[in-house]
Amino acid sequence: MTPVAVTGLGVVSPFGAGVKAYWDGLAAGTCAIRPVTLLDTEGFRCRIAAEVPDGVAGSPRRSRADRLALVAAREALDDAGVSRRERADAALVVGAVGGGMLEAEAWYWERHRRPVRATRALHAIFPSSHAEVVGSVLGLGGPRETVVAACSSGAAALALAADLVADGAAPLALAGGVDALTRICFMGFNALRLLDPEPCRPFDRDRRGMSVGEGAAFVVLERADRARARGARIWAELAGSGTTTDAHHVTAPHPEGEGMVRAMRAALAAAGVGPGAVGYVNAHGTATPQNDRIEARAIRAVFGEGRLLVSATKSMIGHTMAAAGALEAVATVLALAHELVPPTAGLDAPDPEASFDCVPRTAREAQLEAAISNSFGFGGQNVTLLFRRA
Amino acid sequence: MRRVAVTGVGVLTGAVTGGSAAVGAFLAAGAPGPRQVRPEALAARIDEAEARRLSRACQLTVGAARLALADAGLEPGRDLGLVVGTEFGDLRSTIEFVDGYLERGPVGLSPLLFPNTVMNTMAAATAIAVTAREVSLTLNAPTVAGELAVARAAALVRAGRAPAALAGGVDQLAPVLLEALAELGAGADARAEGAGFVVLEPLDAARARGARVLGEIAGAAWRALPARPYGVGRRTAAPRAIAAALAEAGVAPEAVGSVQLSAAGDALRDRWEQALVAAALGGGPPRAGAPAHLAGRHSGLAALAVAAAAADAAASGAPALVHALARGGTQVCLVVTGP
Repeated sequence: MTPVAVTGLGVVSPFGAGVKAYWDGLAAGTCAIRPVTLLDTEGFRCRIAAEVPDGVAGSPRRSRADRLALVAAREALDDAGVSRRERADAALVVGAVGGGMLEAEAWYWERHRRPVRATRALHAIFPSSHAEVVGSVLGLGGPRETVVAACSSGAAALALAADLVADGAAPLALAGGVDALTRICFMGFNALRLLDPEPCRPFDRDRRGMSVGEGAAFVVLERADRARARGARIWAELAGSGTTTDAHHVTAPHPEGEGMVRAMRAALAAAGVGPGAVGYVNAHGTATPQNDRIEARAIRAVFGEGRLLVSATKSMIGHTMAAAGALEAVATVLALAHELVPPTAGLDAPDPEASFDCVPRTAREAQLEAAISNSFGFGGQNVTLLFRRA
Repeated sequence: MRRVAVTGVGVLTGAVTGGSAAVGAFLAAGAPGPRQVRPEALAARIDEAEARRLSRACQLTVGAARLALADAGLEPGRDLGLVVGTEFGDLRSTIEFVDGYLERGPVGLSPLLFPNTVMNTMAAATAIAVTAREVSLTLNAPTVAGELAVARAAALVRAGRAPAALAGGVDQLAPVLLEALAELGAGADARAEGAGFVVLEPLDAARARGARVLGEIAGAAWRALPARPYGVGRRTAAPRAIAAALAEAGVAPEAVGSVQLSAAGDALRDRWEQALVAAALGGGPPRAGAPAHLAGRHSGLAALAVAAAAADAAASGAPALVHALARGGTQVCLVVTGP
């Protein structure tokens, strides 16, 4: 694969707006999972989530998710120093699931009580709304796509955008993922009994399920030679990606993690490196008993046992759905750049299946050559991104 | 870079159901058809377990994918990529899931319906049904989702990232949706339910297995033209997706023989599309078709448009375009040449 450089980062996370707030929270091992304020949680077993605090900047006429996306996208473009003129040819790939459902739900709940007219909020209901808004407001005129790959959407967006850049369809790309908390998501995972009433504990022997979250993250990708020629700061290289499908079950992963293994191996092959080059895995790590057990087996199948560092960002910011793959990609890039691996917060007793160092509770200094970020989703969707130190 | 062949077509719609022969006959007849899929047409393409377990949107997708693979002479089980475009996803299941809560509280929530609230549910069901284990993507966009899926799949096959791909789309209508679209002033499009796919594979691989080649996707590009969200842009905007697709195909604008448009009844958008195509191709406008006028607009319609373009290119010897344009500015263009 043609080397693709990461030259800009932008984040809105449960730690607040900005890459700095995000990294400070991750590096300190802070858990941002708290009682839900955005939704009525009466009658649900789990009543906590990782919400973005302090309101979200932007016009209240836009959906919360569109505003999250805009804030993160702007930060990434500014960070990369992309000019207005360069944006006219830039690609935009957004991973999304919930769209503007939070506001559409409010309308539908009201409609259930009494007859009400359709609201303008319905324009923004579908996942594609984020790309429409971000692309239009920021003037991005290259290829535009919205990819829905369940919980791997954000990672899939980065992989697709890297392909566009590598193939020459666009000189640079803005790619990321976004999701705001929605009733449907919160109710659905409650109905599946996949949520822990307490903050989630990935890779813990006594884990009881996930915590949901919200946020947005975007990165700017461009050909490495172009980035160097214009003197851009290169955070890391996106050296390879692997995207596979289990074709096994709509919600459950393949019991042996067969599709996960293929995704990780495909990313290694695309980057032209062996498993020994990878020092850190930012795991999908949802804290459901099933995911973490199967992911641990898949990681072991690819990398063997022992020295590998593996941590789960979701222990701090919950599962941010379509944003997760992008937020975790940014965490992986920052780990390479800062030579510091964020911890798995709340991990007391590692599951014996996780036969690697899960970086419990405290961040670890580590010089890494390469690291991967795993993202898996309903529908047996597996994406692995491989980043290399710049 | 590989040349990309179209080796199969499958559509499951009210107006026409079948492979390339049925689609060819329907297009040649040129008579508008019904907008809803007949129950027996759907039942014939799925098994009893799927009929019980899968939502209707998933059933439509699985059925059309099987028709396309059969048309291409490919057995399920071969490693495939899958790209599904959709405008609305499985909205009907989403509404059913929510209504369960509104009527009965938390105990009314169905864990079986919840996965259908995520738009990749149709791709997930189809990947299982036809054993597509390579990359699988769901692309969401107004109007252009199916054409975008075909363009993205062509790029995946061209670059060697998928050994072959099923690409197309699906949409299903829901009463609440139509009501809301009408109230928002976006209800003028002639809409229908349905699913459609094409099978794309490298030309040399298709020839090596003795496959019938319907045509080639010689160029594929998508761009965002300046427009406000959900609005139309200027008619003088540079039609950049058309220029990029023609450049990739090495086809001069004046060599294009015909174009399949996404026009479906939204007067502002349709006029914008006509202006952009005329500007891109110069001179007198080429012969134009609009499959939505025959079968109603849905994301599976892209398969019909590709089939129509391939048939036209085969008959005339001139490259044909498939063009689609959405409010918000996403423009997709495919250059289709004959076999």
